[in-house]
Amino acid sequence: MATVEEPRAAARPFIRPDGKEKVTGVGRYTADMTLTGQLHAKFRYTDHPHARITRIDASKARALPGVFAVLTHEDVPDVKYGGMVQDRRLFAKEKARFEGDIIAGVAATTPEIAAAAAALVEVEYELLPVITDYETSPSSATLVHDAWETDSGDESMGRDGNRLGFSTIVKGDADGAMATADVIVRGRYVADCSHGVPIEPHAVIAQWTGDRVTVWTSTQVPFAARGGVARTLGIPESHVRVIVPLLGGGFGAKCDFHFEGHVAALAKAARRPVKLVFSRHEEFVAIDHRREGITIEIETGAMADGTLVARRGRLAIDGGAYCGEGGFFAQMAAMHAAGPYKITNVNIESSLNYSNNQPSSSIRAPTAPQVCWAVEQHMDELARKLGIDPVELRRRTLIHEGAAGPTGQVFDRLGILETLEKATELIGYGQELPEDEAIGVACGWWPSFGVPSGAYVKLNADGSGVIVTGAQESGTGAVMGLPILAAKVLGMKPEDFAIVYQDTDAGPWDMGSSGSQTTFNNGRAVIAAAGEVREQLLDMAEKELEAARGDLELADGVVRVKGSHDRSIAIAELTGSGAALLGKGSGEAPEPSVGADMSACVGDLGVGAFLAPQLITQAARVRVDRDTGVVRVVDFAAAHDSGTILNPIGANGQVYGGVVMGIGQALSEGTQIGADGRQKNPHLLDYKLVTVADTPRIQIAWVEYAAVDGGPEGSKGIGEPPSVPTSGAVANAITKVIGNQVKQLPMTPERVWNTIQEGSK
Amino acid sequence: MSRTYLAATSVTEAVSALAGGARAIAGGTDLVVGARHGKAPIPQSLVAIHEIDELRGITGSGGGVRLGALASHEEIVDHPVIREHLTALADASAIVGSHATRHVGTIGGNIMNASPAMESGGPLMCLGATITLQSTSGTRTVAVDELFTGPGRTVAESGELLVSVDVPAQPAGTGSCYCRLEYRRQMEIAIVGATAVVTVVDGTVTAARVAITALAPTIRRVPEAEAALVGTDGGRVAADAAAALAASASAPISDVRGSADYRRAMAAVMTRRAIEAAVARATGQSVSIPASPALHGAV
Repeated sequence: MATVEEPRAAARPFIRPDGKEKVTGVGRYTADMTLTGQLHAKFRYTDHPHARITRIDASKARALPGVFAVLTHEDVPDVKYGGMVQDRRLFAKEKARFEGDIIAGVAATTPEIAAAAAALVEVEYELLPVITDYETSPSSATLVHDAWETDSGDESMGRDGNRLGFSTIVKGDADGAMATADVIVRGRYVADCSHGVPIEPHAVIAQWTGDRVTVWTSTQVPFAARGGVARTLGIPESHVRVIVPLLGGGFGAKCDFHFEGHVAALAKAARRPVKLVFSRHEEFVAIDHRREGITIEIETGAMADGTLVARRGRLAIDGGAYCGEGGFFAQMAAMHAAGPYKITNVNIESSLNYSNNQPSSSIRAPTAPQVCWAVEQHMDELARKLGIDPVELRRRTLIHEGAAGPTGQVFDRLGILETLEKATELIGYGQELPEDEAIGVACGWWPSFGVPSGAYVKLNADGSGVIVTGAQESGTGAVMGLPILAAKVLGMKPEDFAIVYQDTDAGPWDMGSSGSQTTFNNGRAVIAAAGEVREQLLDMAEKELEAARGDLELADGVVRVKGSHDRSIAIAELTGSGAALLGKGSGEAPEPSVGADMSACVGDLGVGAFLAPQLITQAARVRVDRDTGVVRVVDFAAAHDSGTILNPIGANGQVYGGVVMGIGQALSEGTQIGADGRQKNPHLLDYKLVTVADTPRIQIAWVEYAAVDGGPEGSKGIGEPPSVPTSGAVANAITKVIGNQVKQLPMTPERVWNTIQEGSK
Repeated sequence: MSRTYLAATSVTEAVSALAGGARAIAGGTDLVVGARHGKAPIPQSLVAIHEIDELRGITGSGGGVRLGALASHEEIVDHPVIREHLTALADASAIVGSHATRHVGTIGGNIMNASPAMESGGPLMCLGATITLQSTSGTRTVAVDELFTGPGRTVAESGELLVSVDVPAQPAGTGSCYCRLEYRRQMEIAIVGATAVVTVVDGTVTAARVAITALAPTIRRVPEAEAALVGTDGGRVAADAAAALAASASAPISDVRGSADYRRAMAAVMTRRAIEAAVARATGQSVSIPASPALHGAV
C-alpha cells in the first residue's frame, strides 16, 4: 500500500497525446466540420419564461425560401425525457417553462435564413406568473408542471407539486443534543447560480443514412446522447451512432442528452445533414446545465472543546424548470451540509424545487462548492465563538479512519487530516501578514462513483497497441492517461498505444466524462482488458521460451524469464505471428466498504454513503481593498487525498483548473436573474471568468493513501473536488480581513464593500 | 442589397467612400464585436482604413504627441513621450481589453465609438487633446472635451473621418493618472473610472483637470473638483474633497455591473486615487503604468 510514510516511486509524467493538436490549432471540433449539402439549424425560443402556449403556426416560416424544415412538438413523437424525472419534451407543447424553452427548430441553407424563419414562427401565449424565487416555490399556487403526477420518475425523490425532490440526513437526536451544547452558531447563506462556461459552445451535426443517424456532437456523455436520440425519436439505439470530435471543455455543462434529438429530427425532416452551433448567448440561456442556486440555513452546537454534538440544516435548491440529470441534488447537498466532520447528531432537510429558472444539472461537483462555502464559513464562526483556532477546530473534528460519517458510514483509512496539515504548511498559516491580507482555510469532500465501464485492448502486428474505450475525453486528460495503465500491465510504454474513443459504435457503454469517474472505472476496464492480452502473450511466450508461466514477466517491451533476462522474446515478435491479440474488460465496480444506515433518512438516492471519498483542504491568502471591496487571491495551496496518483501531470492539471474555476465562482462569476426570469448577464463581458492575470500561485500536495474501495492501484476521482472548498477558503480569508462574513456567493466587490459598510455602522 | 467593402489606401479615397455612406473600420474591436452581440449589424458598406499609411504612427514634438488614427493602444503604452509626460493616456491604453485588443484596437476607433466607459477618453479630455476630422469638404479640429454628445454619439458628421489626435505638451510640474475600478485584471470594462491631471509648482496645485468615466452618459470633466484642487497642496484632504465633488457630479445607473450607490462611492475612491497618483507623478515620485492594478494593491 502506498502511503505518505512509505513513498512509492513517483509516477513518470506522461504528456497527453491530444495536447499538440489542440494548442497548435490543428485539432478539429464539431463546429469545424462541414458535410456536403449541410443545412444550418436555429431554434425559436419562447418569448415568455412562463406561459401557456395557445397556438403555434409555422406556415410562414416554412414558406420562406431556403427553409427545408420547421419542426414543433407536433412533428416529433410525443415523448418526455429526463434523468430521474421525465418531465421535458424536445419542443415545448402545452407550456413554456423557462427562458430557453424551445418552441420550434428550423433547418435552412444559411444560419441567417434559419434565424429569419425561426422569427416567423407565430406563437400565442397566455402569460403565467414567473416563479424565480425557488425557496418559496413549493408553497406557490402556480405549478411549473401542472400534471407533475403523470410524469414518470424515481419514486424515492419525494416529489410534491413544485417540490421536485426532498431528502434528509438524520442521525441521532439533533434537537435534543443542540440543547446540551455549550455554544450554538447559526447562519443563513445564499449562493447564486452560475455556469460551467466551456470555451467551445454546444455544436451538433446529424446525418441520416436510410433509417440510421450519425450525430457528431460536443457532448461529455455520448452514450446518454445516443439513448436520448433513440428515446425521443422512437428508434433503436443501434440506429444511432454518436461521435464526439475534440471537445472544447465541458465542466458538466455538456453532460446529459439534449440538442442531439432536435438536430437529428431536423436532419430527417430536411433529408439533409443539419448543423447547429450555439452562440455564447445560447450557451448561457438555452442549455439545461447551470450550477444551481442554493439557500443554506445551518446551525451547529458544540461543546467547549470543539466536539460537534449537533447540526441542523435546511437547504433549498433551485432545480429550475426541468429535472435534467440533477435529480439527486437534494441528497448530495445534504451530505455537504454535514461535511467531512464527526458530528454526533444530524438533522438536515434538503429540498430541490422547481422554478421558472434555467434547469440545474451537474456542473463540476454539483451543490458542493456552494454548500461547502456556507459550512466552512460557519465552522470558522464556530471556532471564533469557541475561542479555538479554526485549523485546530478542524483538526479535532474532521473524519478519520474508523470515524462515522453523517449517515453512520464508517471510513477506511483516509487522509483529510493530512491534507489539513499540508495545505496550512504550504500557505504558511500563522505567518505575519499585512493588515489587508489574511489566510483562510476550508475542507471538503466528494464521492467517487462506481459505475460500469468497458474497454478493449488490442495489439498490432508491429507490437504497438490500441485502446478502444467508451470513455469520453472532455479535456481533463483522463482518457489520454489510459495508456499508462495498459502499458504497465503489458510491460510496454504508454507512447506505444493509440486510443479509439468518443464513438458509440466502437467503444463499450460508459457513463461519460462526469462524476470524476473515467480513471476510476474505465481505468479498471482497461487494466482488465490489458490483462487478457497479457495472458495471451504469456500463452505464446511460454511455448517460445519453454519456461514455466510463473517465471515469466512482461517488461521493457519483451516477455522474459525473471532473473535471466537473456531468455526473452519481444512482444513485437509475438504480435508479428499473426495471432489475434485482443482483450476486453469491464472491471467490477466497488462498493463503499462499510455502508451507511439510512433508516432514519428519506429521499435516499444513492449518495448517502461516499464511495472512496475524495478529501480536500485548501488555503487561500487574499488581499482585500477595503475602499472598493475588490478581493485578490494572492497565494493558494491545495492538498488532496485522491488516493494513489497515477499521472501527476494530469492530476495537478485538474487542481490548477479547479482552483481557478473555484476562485471565479467565489469572487466574480454568478448569473443574475431578473424578476422576469431572464438572465441579466448572459455574456462574457458581464459574466466575469477569472483570467490568467488574476490567477495566483497554486501549490499542490497529494496525500496518497491507496483506497481499498478505489479505482486502479487505489486511486480515487480527481476532476471535480478541486473546486469544492475554494470559495470557502477565500471567504474565510475575507472575513479575517474585514471582520464580517459575506453571506452571498459570489462575493463580488460590491457585496464585500457592503459588508464592510454594514460592519462599520 | 449588396455589401461593399473598400480597402482604402489614402484618406482622400476613404473620405469619398464615407461620403457615399460607408462606415469606417480599422481594428474592428467595437464594430465586429458589437455585431456579434446583436448590438447593430455590420454596416452594408464598409471602408477599411487599416492600410492607409498616412494614418499610422505616433510623432512626438516637445512633450506632446500626434497620434495617427491607426495608433494602437500598445503603441501608445510603449511610447516614451506618452509614458513620461502624458502618463494618464498610457495608464488608460494599458488596460483596454486584453493583450489582443490592445494590439488590434486603434485610438481612432476607440474615440469615435464614444463609449461612456472608454478608457482613453478621460485622459485625452483632461490633457487638452484635439482631434482632426476630415471629409470631402475639408478638415476641422474638435477638442475631445467637446466631442461627445451621448453614448455612442459625437459631434462628428457621418462623412467625417478622424485622421489624427493631438495631445499638447503639459506645463512643467504636471503629472497625470487614469484609474479604473477593476473586478478582474484583463478583459475588463470600466465600471467606474477617473482621470486627474495636476500641475504642482512649489508644493501648490496651480492647475487641475478631473474627469469621470462610466458615471454619466458621456465621459465628463468635473470643474468643481478641479477648482477644489487648485491652490491646495494636493494632499489627502484636498484629494478627498475633490473626490467627493466628483462623486456628487456623477449620475450613475444601477445595472448588472453595480448599483448606483456603489458606483457613486467608487467615483470618490477612484477620483481620489487618480489625484493622489497624479500629484505623486507631478512631484517626481514613481507610480507604475498602468496605475490601476498598482493602486488596487495587486501584485
